[in-house]
Order: sequence, then C-alpha cells, then structure tokens
Amino acid sequence: MGAAALAEPLALLESVDRDGLVRQSWRIERWPVTIGRALDNTVVLSDPHVAAHHATLDLVAAAPADNGSDDAAAAATPKTIVVSAGATKNGLSVGRERIGAGASTSIADSGRDLELQIGRSQLRLRLPGHVLADEMAMTPVVVVERRWAPTLGFAFAVLVFVLANVWIDTDPDALSRAAGGLVLATVTGAAIWCGLWSLLSKTFTRQSHFGWHLRVFVLASLATLTLAVLPPLLAFAFSWPWLTDYSFIAVYATVAAAIYFHLLAVEPGRERLMRGVATTGFVVGVALSLWFNVQRTGRPGEELYMNHLFPPQLRVARTKPVDRFVEGLAPMQAILDRKAKEQSGGEIESRDGGEDEE
Amino acid sequence: MRDRVRRWAAAGVLALAASSALTQTRVSQSAGPAASAAAPPSPAAPAAAVAAAPVSLSARKVYEQARPSLVQIRTVLKGGPSQTSVGSGFLVTAQGHIVTNFHVVSEAALKPERHDLVYVTADGREAPLVILQLDVLHDLALLRAGDAGAAPAASATGASPSATGASASAAGATASVKATSTRATGTKVSANAASAAGAATRGFEPLAFRPPSQPLAQGERIYSLGNPLDVGFTITQGTYNGLVRRSFYPQIFFGGALSAGMSGGPALDDEGHVVGINVARRVDGEQVSFLVPAEFAIALLARGRDAAPIIGPAYGIVDEQLQQHQAALTDRFIAQGWKEATHPRYRVPVPPDVFMRCWGTSEVSRTGGLDFERSECQMDTRIFVGEYTTGTIALRHESYDGSKLGPLRFAARYSQSFRNEAFVRLPAQHQTKPRCNEDYVDRDGLPLRAVVCMRAYKKLPQLYDVAVLVATLDQNESGVQGRFDAQGVTFANAQRLVRHYLDAYRWAQPH
Repeated sequence: MGAAALAEPLALLESVDRDGLVRQSWRIERWPVTIGRALDNTVVLSDPHVAAHHATLDLVAAAPADNGSDDAAAAATPKTIVVSAGATKNGLSVGRERIGAGASTSIADSGRDLELQIGRSQLRLRLPGHVLADEMAMTPVVVVERRWAPTLGFAFAVLVFVLANVWIDTDPDALSRAAGGLVLATVTGAAIWCGLWSLLSKTFTRQSHFGWHLRVFVLASLATLTLAVLPPLLAFAFSWPWLTDYSFIAVYATVAAAIYFHLLAVEPGRERLMRGVATTGFVVGVALSLWFNVQRTGRPGEELYMNHLFPPQLRVARTKPVDRFVEGLAPMQAILDRKAKEQSGGEIESRDGGEDEE
Repeated sequence: MRDRVRRWAAAGVLALAASSALTQTRVSQSAGPAASAAAPPSPAAPAAAVAAAPVSLSARKVYEQARPSLVQIRTVLKGGPSQTSVGSGFLVTAQGHIVTNFHVVSEAALKPERHDLVYVTADGREAPLVILQLDVLHDLALLRAGDAGAAPAASATGASPSATGASASAAGATASVKATSTRATGTKVSANAASAAGAATRGFEPLAFRPPSQPLAQGERIYSLGNPLDVGFTITQGTYNGLVRRSFYPQIFFGGALSAGMSGGPALDDEGHVVGINVARRVDGEQVSFLVPAEFAIALLARGRDAAPIIGPAYGIVDEQLQQHQAALTDRFIAQGWKEATHPRYRVPVPPDVFMRCWGTSEVSRTGGLDFERSECQMDTRIFVGEYTTGTIALRHESYDGSKLGPLRFAARYSQSFRNEAFVRLPAQHQTKPRCNEDYVDRDGLPLRAVVCMRAYKKLPQLYDVAVLVATLDQNESGVQGRFDAQGVTFANAQRLVRHYLDAYRWAQPH
C-alpha cells in the first residue's frame, strides 16, 4: 500500500484559489475522470452551480495515423485530452474555450497544465510529462519586510524633518506645544495610513505586510518633504521661476510611485496592472492640474511669480540694473493686448447667444 | 464731556485707518433691495440730520424758484417696466440741456442697447433724454431733453435684464491745488442760458450758474436739491467748506446731507445760482458730502451744447478721457518725488501728501515672532467707469524685524508675506488675467527681488493696471517689502512708473 501511494499518479487534479494557492488536490489513478456533485463521481465538487454529472476528462493516444507502434513510442507520443460536458446548465470552460451541455472537445496536450473552470471552482490538470517552471524568488515585499533597521532610520529622518518644519513655522513662544501636537499628528497619520494599507494586504494576500507599507510611506514622505524645500531653494538661488511653477509634477510623481508600491503588497501577482494604474493616475492628475491652472490663471503653471525667499546669502543669480529690468517688460504688452482682444471678443459672442435664448 | 468727544473723534480716525477702504459712495440709486419704496429712506444718518435742521424761509424761496428746473433722471430697461437706477439733474439752457453725473447715466451710456434714459419733472411730466457729452473725470454728463422726434437712436437688440444696476460703488475725489484755476467760461454761458429762457419752445426753465468771479466763503449756506431714494424732490441745506483736501480733481466739501438718488442734482447758493453738482458722500461720516464745482459743468456745456447725441456704447469717449487722466496723473506723480527718511536703513518710496493720504500701523508679535510696521498710501480720487473704478495710484510697504527669530525662521515669514499678494482685481469680462515679470534688481548695491504684474482692460484699449512687488534682500533678519499699484495707465507710463518706483529704493546711508 505504501508503495502504491508513493508511485507517481497518472495525473493530478487541483482546485486553485484566486491567489494561485492549491485548496485541494485529487490523485488521478485511472481514466476517465468524472466530475460532478453526485457522490459517484471521481471528483466530487459540492458547489450548487455544478451539475450532478458535470464533466468527464479522458486521456487518449494522440494521432491515429501511427497506431501500432511499440510501447516506448506510444509513451513518447503526445496525448490528447478529451473534455466532455454532461447534462449541465452552466457548461464549463477549458482555457478560453466554452463547452455547452453534451458537447465535448479534444485538446492536444501541449506539455503545460490545463486550466478548467467548473461552476465556481478553478481546476488545474497536471500530467506527468509537464514542464515545471523554475522556482520563483520571494517578492521584494517579503524580503524588505524582514529588514526593519533602514525603515526605522528613514522614519527618524522624517520626524526630524517634520520637527525642523515646526521649528521654522512657529514663533519661539509657541514652539513646544506646536511640536508635540504635530509629532503626534504625524505618527497617528502614518499609523492610520499604513494600517489601512495593511488591512487591504491582509484581505487579499492573508499577510499584512505592515513593514513594507511603513517603508513605502516613510520614503514617500521623505521625498515629498525634500520636494517642498529643494525646488524653492533652487528657484530662489538661480532665479528660476519655472521650477516652482511646475514642481507639483514631481510631487504627483512621488505620490503615484508610493501608491504603486503600496499596491504591490496588495496584489503581488499583478505588477503590470498596478504600474498601469499608478501611471494613469499620474498622467490624469497632471493633465487635470494643468488644465485647471489654465482655466484659473490663463497659464499652465501653478505660481504667478516665484514667491519663495531664503536668506540672502543663498542667492546665486546676479542682479539686473533697473533700466534693463524695465525694458524687459516690453514683451508683455503684445501678450496682454492679444488676451484682451480674443477674450472679450469671445465673451461678447457668447453673451449675445445667451440673450437670444432668454 | 469735552474729553469724551475728543476720545470719540480719535476712535473714529482709528476705525477709518483700520478699515482703510475708501468709504465714499456715489449718491445715485440703483435697483436692489435697498430701493424698496416702503422702507424708511435710509438707515444712514443724513435723513435724520435733515429733519433736525429747520428749513429756513430762504430755502423755501430757493426751492420754489428752482423747482421747474429740477428733474429726476431714470435709467430704464429697454422694453421693460423696471428702472435700474435713478438720479437727479437740472436744466441749464432753455433748449433743454440737462446736467447730471456721469454715474447716473453710465448704464445708458455704456450699454445703450439695453437701457433708455428718461427724465421726470417735479410736476410729473416724463420724456426721453439723449446724451450729448461726458466728463468722466469730473463725473459729469450733459444731456438734452429729447422731443418726440429726438429719441435716442441706439440700435435696440434683445432686452434682457442685466445684473441689477450696481452703480452705487465706492468712488470720489478729493481736492488738489493745481486745477482750481480753470474757471473760465462760466458767466457768459449762464447769462446766455438765462436770456434764452424766455424763448424756450417748450418752456424749459434753466438754472443759472454762480459766476466764478464771486467765490463762496467757508460757512456760507448752500442748498442741495434732488430726489433722494426716489421718495420725492427735496431741498437740504448745508454749508460750503471750500475744496476737499488732497483731491486729484477739485471737489467742494459740502457740510450737509446727501442721499442716494440725489446724484446730479444742483447745489445752489442763496440766490438760487448753481455752485456745484451733488456727487458723493462719505458713508463713515456725518454730513460729509461732495459736490463737483460748477465750473466743470460750465465747461462741459460749452463743449457739448451743440454736439450730436452719442449713439452706441461710449467706451471710446471714456477711454479717451482716461488717457488724458493717466497722462496727467503719471506726470504729477513722478514730478512730486518722494518723502525722505521713511526707514532707518532704506529709502523706501512713500509719496508726499499732495493728492495721496497715508496711514500706518505697527504690530509687535505677542508670541516672540515677527514685528512689523505697515504704511499704506492711497488716493481718494477714483474714476468711475460703469461697473468699476480706475485711474488711481496706491502704495504700501511693510518693514519687518525678525531679530527674535534668526535667519531661517525670519526667511520663512518674509517669504510667506511675499507670497500673500493678490494680483487679480476685476472679473474676466473687464480685465485679462495678470502677467508677471520678475528678477533680482540692483539699486546701488542694494539687491531687490522685483515682480511686475500687469493686466489689460478689455473694453478700454491700451490701458493697463500695473503692480510692482519688491522685497529687499540684503539682511538676514529684517527687510522691507513694498507694493505699488497704478490703475488705468498706458504701457509706456506703466514702465515709467515702475522705473520711478524701483529707482526710489536705496540704502539710507551709502554702504
């Protein structure tokens, strides 16, 4: 008996959940295999969407052309899997092919596992000669989670950054209270954010991945805080108004990247889909912001003028004489004149239209 | 008691400084909730004040004499039953010329396709009016009573109610010294008008102007006539108080009550001669009212009595007069120079108190933060152009001391203040969105961050608003930020003003 149990089965039929994990498997010791809700089936699926005798699987020798060859040759020749549906309302599907009640299909064994959908069960048929995929490495999510030290280091940096901001923004007499409040708010906010993502991860992957979410949050915060200082500083030093005019795009990119990495720990198998979601979100967000800015101010940028001042020593750009600065205003006239004409023209037309309707 | 009064006065001044908005309002009346006939005339004090002062015998005589010359001017929606605004006016010739304020007829002048003008006499006769000439700068209009055939020929298109007339917007003017010498053609015109009275075809009885050769003395009684709040014709008495101080264009300071709806009505002396035209009052004071001196009405009559009626929107005339105004304003502003000793470290541009008025405040942080002083200079004069005002200059600056904060914390607050500036003034149908140009500018070694933002007027070609924002960048823990605004100037004058303003910055002592 022990020897029989150890022998390689003719095939293995597995029921697989949505994450690709096996819930149940059946060793196939003889063909054909019957699947259904009735107890006389080889494989019994107690699913109300499955018929009493739902389907039959059979394995037959492939090409009738070269029958009569020796056993070794017969074993080497490709097999054909015949799938036939019984008296079922729902039918079944094999790969992408649908099979209705009473119909059947023959599929040449391609050397890969065969996917079947019966009722609400996802089944997989494995045959002995099938190719085994290489062992997959663990996802970065799991790897990163084991190393807490860097995450804590980054978290500390974020706290220092936040405290520095509080110190700068608060008058000396009100500092301690403001600092306490803000640190508390930051920690609570981080806990809620990472906790919600962990809940999502737990729901979909049965693991919370809290360490991963925390690291993503901390790194994204660090990037955002840096983006709040660095572009304004450069814009001030070199007199580059365009830099802060469009630095919101970098912030959007950071947020999109953070969401992508969070999602990675929620749906680890769908990297490309998540990348698509994050990229689409980024592009749509930037486009909407630019469009909204044009509506609001007539310009795509965010700032009407560079409004970040730092200690004077940090200025690198040279000063201009007043005369040259004033002469440099001249090109504005043509732009303003054009705007004054085109907009008022458009408005008069649309107004007249409105009047006729009333 | 005396003490109390004095304290009260001080409080008044403080309140005015704190609000710092110009609280002068034109006294024509527009459609709106306030115009409901059942309501008592106005919550404002003037009505009560008038009731308190008994009308003298001579007031009765003056009113009886002026009554046939007095008219109410109504702006009505074309093809509709409603009036959008009401004001007053008076006949100045036997041919039916009527003088009133520009702001009384502005809707009809600027949007003739939607509005008609009519006048109503004291005995209830109603007839159409045409506009002959405008003086936007002094807020005057010359009209003529149109006989049946002389109705305004403006092309009538659709007649839909526009937004409820909003002509009671803040505006006004204060006195200047320069322009008082323009009394010229007065006597002749009024004599002319008086002699023509008998020959009037339809019995127009004009009022005569007081000859400019007989100036009034301060404290002389004058009478203001008009139809306040559409209640009925009235005569109120008050005193002549000379010209308003620091006004760009001369205006008479009338110590009497004016109410909405009296705009454009005449102010008469004891003999019933016109000395001025009701135009505005201060809503934050009692019996502080303003009259346009009669000399400008005399000049307008001379200029426009034979003119053809204005047909179509009058933006061209408004634009032309604003061009004259901005040229004069820019020249006078630049010529007057700057005050000295405005800051211990810098020479910050602050104009002399000629036609501008400056208020200041000082604030010390209660949390050990940034201390600052603020100074704000404005003109009382604004040119009313229908739905908005323009033609004014304003400056302000804040001087910051962050020695309790250190360089980084000071920089954050200095930056915050630099950011906290608005550059949008009028809605999109009147003005473009602002465009800015910015750079570091050198003033004899003093580095400045300068931002110049400009907007163009959509219906007033070649006129712009210009704003300059400046921050000094030579110290770690203190600095001055200044802002200059000029409205309704040409591009060339905007550039001149920007240069004039930026050139004013420098270190008080050479470094």
